[in-house]
Amino acid sequence: MHPLAWLVWLGASAVATLAMRNPLYLLLLFAVIYVVTDVIRGAESGRGGATTASTDAVTEPMMLPVSPIRFALFAMGVGALINGLISHFGETELLRLPEVIPLLGGPITAEAVVYGAINGMVLATLFATFAVLNVAVPTRDLIGYLPRAFYPVAVVSAIAITFVPNTLYQLRQVREAQAIRGHRMRGLRDWLPLFLPVLIGGLERALQLAEAMTARGFAAKGAAAPAAHTADIARFASIGGLAAVLVGGVLRLVPGAGRWSPVLVVGGTLLVAWAIWRSGRQVNITRYRRARWTMGDGVMVVGALLALVPLFLWPATRDYSPYPRLLWPSFDTRVGLALLGFLAPALVLHLARPPAQGERQ
Amino acid sequence: MTDVIAFDHVAFRYPEAESRHGSVSPWAIADVTLTIPAGAMVLVVGPSGAGKSTLLRCINGLVPHFTGGTFVGRLEVMGLDPIAAGPETMCRHVGFVFQDPEAQFVMDRVEDEIAFALENAAMPPPEMHARVEEVLARLDLVSLRHRPLVTLSGGEKQRVAIAAALALRPRILVLDEPTSQLDPQAAEELLGFLARLGETSGLTLVLAEHRLERVLDFADLLVYVSGGAAPVIFGDPASVLSQVDLAPPVARVGKALGWSPLPVTLAQGARFAVDAMAGRKVDDALLRRDRGDEGADQQAAARPPILEAAALQVAYGDVPVLRGVTLSLYAGEVTVLMGRNGAGKSTLLKSLIGLVRPQQGHVWLVGRDTAGVAVAVICREVAYLPQDPNALLFADTVREELNITLRNHSLEPSQVPVAPDALLAELGLADKREAYPRDLSVGERQRVALAAITVTHPKVILLDEPTRGLDYAAKAGLIELIRRWRAAGLALLLVTHDVELAADVADRVLLMVEGRIVADGSPWDVMGHSDLLAPQIARLFPDAGWLTAEEAAAALTNAGDGTT
Repeated sequence: MHPLAWLVWLGASAVATLAMRNPLYLLLLFAVIYVVTDVIRGAESGRGGATTASTDAVTEPMMLPVSPIRFALFAMGVGALINGLISHFGETELLRLPEVIPLLGGPITAEAVVYGAINGMVLATLFATFAVLNVAVPTRDLIGYLPRAFYPVAVVSAIAITFVPNTLYQLRQVREAQAIRGHRMRGLRDWLPLFLPVLIGGLERALQLAEAMTARGFAAKGAAAPAAHTADIARFASIGGLAAVLVGGVLRLVPGAGRWSPVLVVGGTLLVAWAIWRSGRQVNITRYRRARWTMGDGVMVVGALLALVPLFLWPATRDYSPYPRLLWPSFDTRVGLALLGFLAPALVLHLARPPAQGERQ
Repeated sequence: MTDVIAFDHVAFRYPEAESRHGSVSPWAIADVTLTIPAGAMVLVVGPSGAGKSTLLRCINGLVPHFTGGTFVGRLEVMGLDPIAAGPETMCRHVGFVFQDPEAQFVMDRVEDEIAFALENAAMPPPEMHARVEEVLARLDLVSLRHRPLVTLSGGEKQRVAIAAALALRPRILVLDEPTSQLDPQAAEELLGFLARLGETSGLTLVLAEHRLERVLDFADLLVYVSGGAAPVIFGDPASVLSQVDLAPPVARVGKALGWSPLPVTLAQGARFAVDAMAGRKVDDALLRRDRGDEGADQQAAARPPILEAAALQVAYGDVPVLRGVTLSLYAGEVTVLMGRNGAGKSTLLKSLIGLVRPQQGHVWLVGRDTAGVAVAVICREVAYLPQDPNALLFADTVREELNITLRNHSLEPSQVPVAPDALLAELGLADKREAYPRDLSVGERQRVALAAITVTHPKVILLDEPTRGLDYAAKAGLIELIRRWRAAGLALLLVTHDVELAADVADRVLLMVEGRIVADGSPWDVMGHSDLLAPQIARLFPDAGWLTAEEAAAALTNAGDGTT
């Protein structure tokens, strides 16, 4: 699926999560996201199953560090605990801590506990959303969509992606090497024998890589080297654009001048965009990998955006507060059904997967 | 024939040398004059640190553009001056492959890696896709195109690196020790592949390589770089090898027996070998006694092993790596463990010292079960040299590295049988005591690491790929060291791909395949007739029972008892 379609899905889902406090909606959204994660994982393992990994290298595919469900339970538990102990509002008293304990002393209320748990839930849903992105779109695909002006940044980021697992592998080797000469972890100073070889080795590798990239024409100044003045124009344009956006923002606070603000903000943004595009044209490269926009991507974007609409059309049940007295949250069926729109990627992936593909590889 | 590369009195020195030593800076290469015709396969040899890499990097302008430094002389590559043009322009004419395939990868998938140079060259996408297809097909990588690079084997990785270097269709391909990280079979395959590539495409190949016996078969020309102020020796392989003290086993036998013209490859040597063996009867029993193999089994029964492992099983996740390995190491015996990459050799070493805990089976060290004993404690008795000795070194001086090990074990320098300074002298590092370990050569760094792990005076030494990256001199030093340890009554276990090293030092050879030891016997029994493991001399004189040039030369010159 197209990385940009995923970004739209991510944005919509994050907006929905942050816009609501209704635990029923949150729970529904979390369940929807979890289903999407599950379907993607199924698709991934069907695709990359036949790799003959060497046992020594770090070959684990991109996996989630923590299961979203476990994280949700943790976040809700911690949220409930902290808010319950600290916030003493609410009418339904569960127990009472002695008033002499500073901060914690006083009534522990069900309302405070539920409020904390809901906050934890918001966090967990956001986490699950980003976890989906992590599994669905390799970071390098996203990097490919950085504007051309930032090409060196893109390459450096691409290297960083492989650098992290490499460094972890290196760290493991160094730890073993130090263990065999009797090294034991006793204090802070004992980190030095692990840290120094990894750091020095990392620098040496960086130098080798830089050399290899030079040998393959990275950052080559081709025939179309940018003339100094065009680079200057782009620079002034981006500075001017940013300044305009800033002034526009400040003007909103000035009584009477508010109507100029949108003009400056929009104009400044356009100027910056032009500057980026302009300096991108000076970077003389082409891209190998371009994802194609498919029907499925369209379905996904439409589904995600449609899911947002009822949330703002009928905002009555969007917000929920347990204070002052715990009540069952209301549920608008229209909003609930719309949230199912976030299932679009799961549906598309499920339909797009030919059943025999897994066996063929 | 047109020359594509012409060095004319080229000399170069690195910038650090200028600042640190004032005006008396050493030249990395001095007075190089040579010409390379189009389509040739050129081999660059010489000791490590002699300037082979520097010489190669001149060809695409990395030296001096990337390194800085002083360049003297004239150089012409494909009618261009790389010093004026720089690597940005030269990359279209010269592809460059580095020693360590992993260190040169920018992207993380096969296709993207190949496309990287094309993206930099701003090639229009349709053409770029066609070009990537072409290179994938040429290097036989089509089936691997979507694979992440980390999942490839060493040989496959190096093929991807070559593909990436060839994407811009250069006419010259320069490779800096491309096989140094590969096992012999993968190295053989890669070199065969390169030779075919050179023949079918008219590419000019310039290749630096330590292991002569692997590559001489394919070379048209030889460049010998000796380092220092000595000029390079350049010519066809036989004429260069007759002038230098650096030769594959077949040429060493040839020199000892006065064969002329000097054979440098097996094919050339075969004729002489047949003549030399005509009418000879080999006394097998005599030979076995000479190699000290006699009664190895009886010895084993009489003495208890120092290190013993029984039915070791290790799995990483669902992947079994060791499937029931049993072995014993005896004092004064050198055991060599061979096998392909991924057979489980390194894992076996690690499980012997507790870095990897076996799921089943036991390890006994001098009769004591090591289950549950800390690695640090085991390693006082069992020294283990990992594949990359750099992982050990971090202190400011060589002597400090030894002291750190002693401090780790809570030992005073006076408590060990051989004082640290004496040990360093023994290892030939006496004058490097105050040097910064990472500034030393590959061979010296390995010795420092060896000193750091053997300073506790262990009973067993385990070496993982000790000859990787070593030149002939460093390797000879290592062999001498191994023999000295053996004589001192230590038990040694070597994991190596280097069949010539195994032939030189092994008392016993184990062959490991997919987590099992499938062969265990005298070097001749295991290696003599193996397609993969036979050293060059065993191939040259099949059935004679010789494994090294020294044995063959001694036996053939009819010296009475044939010892070396």
